[in-house]
Amino acid sequence: MSLPTRTGDDQPASGPEDRHQFETAAKGGAGFWLSAAAGWAVIAVGLRGILQNSIDTRPGNLARFVVGGALLHDLVVAPLVIVAAVVVGRAVPGRARAVVQGALVVSAVVALFSYPLVRAYGLAANNPTSLPHDYATNLLVVLGVVWATAAALVVVRLQRSPR
Amino acid sequence: MSLGLPAVVRKWTTDPDKPLQQGAYASPLRDERLAAWLGAALGGLFSVCFVTGLYSHLQQNPQGWLPIPARPAGLYRLSQGIHVAAGIASVPVLIAKLWLVWPRFVAFPPVKGVSHLVERVGLFPLVAGGVFMTFSGVANIAQWYPWRFSFTASHFWMAWVTMGAIVAHVGAKWAFARQSLARPSRRPALAEADPVLGTVAEPEANNGLSRRGFLGTVAAASGVLTVTTVGQTFPPLRSLAVLAPRDPGVGPQGYPVNRGAANAGVLDLARSPGYRLVVEGRVSTPLALDLDQLLALPTTVGRLPISCVEGWSYSASWRGVAVRDLLAVAGAEPDRTVLLESLEPQGAYRTSTLNPGQAADRHTLLATHLDGQPLDIEHGFPCRLIAPNRAGVLQTKWVAKVTVL
Repeated sequence: MSLPTRTGDDQPASGPEDRHQFETAAKGGAGFWLSAAAGWAVIAVGLRGILQNSIDTRPGNLARFVVGGALLHDLVVAPLVIVAAVVVGRAVPGRARAVVQGALVVSAVVALFSYPLVRAYGLAANNPTSLPHDYATNLLVVLGVVWATAAALVVVRLQRSPR
Repeated sequence: MSLGLPAVVRKWTTDPDKPLQQGAYASPLRDERLAAWLGAALGGLFSVCFVTGLYSHLQQNPQGWLPIPARPAGLYRLSQGIHVAAGIASVPVLIAKLWLVWPRFVAFPPVKGVSHLVERVGLFPLVAGGVFMTFSGVANIAQWYPWRFSFTASHFWMAWVTMGAIVAHVGAKWAFARQSLARPSRRPALAEADPVLGTVAEPEANNGLSRRGFLGTVAAASGVLTVTTVGQTFPPLRSLAVLAPRDPGVGPQGYPVNRGAANAGVLDLARSPGYRLVVEGRVSTPLALDLDQLLALPTTVGRLPISCVEGWSYSASWRGVAVRDLLAVAGAEPDRTVLLESLEPQGAYRTSTLNPGQAADRHTLLATHLDGQPLDIEHGFPCRLIAPNRAGVLQTKWVAKVTVL
């Protein structure tokens, strides 16, 4: 959500120099190296488990999803969100902007979560009780509630500061 | 950053020594304090998922040195409900956190020194692990399997990778995050210092979401996902669970199932007049009971939950012979481990084991009735295991053989 205008609010309280010194001290310290060693030991437990149980974990196929998920986010989703945020920041009038941004974020997350339900992939499992609802309709209802709430918030904001 | 760099690089990369808000990524929401709050929330949610996940793993992979207790009866229902709910609630937090710190992904130069290298390499299992855990969990409860690996094994081992990366990341950021959280939020201080500037800086004055509004938005997104799903295990919110993959009130006899009789390949076997419940192993009187003999055994009624590993659950009234009573009829000693086998010809969960404490519990039943009605074949007719504090996949259906070990 990069916004087109910047205010004094943007300025960090501490200067870059303080921050740099601070981060350098934190990273060089014993705490950094101890937790790095402990963390990588736990990571090694997971990697060993994946390799030792390769019949179940299918490391090649698993790696495709693990690496692919990160790359999909970092190279596709995140840049798209940044572009979308700039568009919203420019297109939506000021007093409605915050509410519209919030409603868009909630809508996007709920839609993302609902995607496999709406596509009804689970029905392929041939389970008589899986996915009992009409998820496309339900998603629209939830989004309707979200945007009705957003509209109410915009009205409240306009009444509070009628400029 | 060297001034000799091409302008395009300078414009789209960030300096790792400077705050998150830089150049093209100047949103006031890209704030260290906000990043620390989101990180703390995510660390808490993932830790809850990890601990409850270990408990679920222990249920499905029993360890002799740490036997699962038979009581409290609803423990697994609670822990697995929390596991799935916390995982779902973490989705918006993870997305927000990744968005907020994304400028660090395009840091230039990419590496400054050894500790910076170690920290950045650790970000890969952190980000990839976090995305994988939430994606695979959400896909699994929707019964969407776009992959070829085993979900349970991969979700379990990747949890270790992800938690290890969290430990390393917390260590790298601990002091910095603490300092960021201890610092008072900037906006009031600014308003105090200069009322005019402070008024202009008020986010309500047309500048989009404030930091507080952003946190509120993330909380609202988690809240919407929770309210529309948690009713699959929390009955008071059942009517709101419009995005839950299961409805605990929809299915044969009013309850859902995870593995149907047709999928299990037991439609004919379960209804065959040749069905026998065999009790053997370390018993003085091996048994082979037909359906009438099974129904003639003394019964116990228990109100017990079915708690699916996928996060839905329901509680119902079950009636059938208690395993300990059945063992007494067969002349087995109490305090034995018991192996149960299903009619199901194959499948990862066609057998399950009761440890001595579970086998001896008065409410560990081979149920023949559900809410007073004969068990539907989808629920495990002629008889199914139902025991307290037990993962749903281990409540073996269509039981045909009880072996005392």
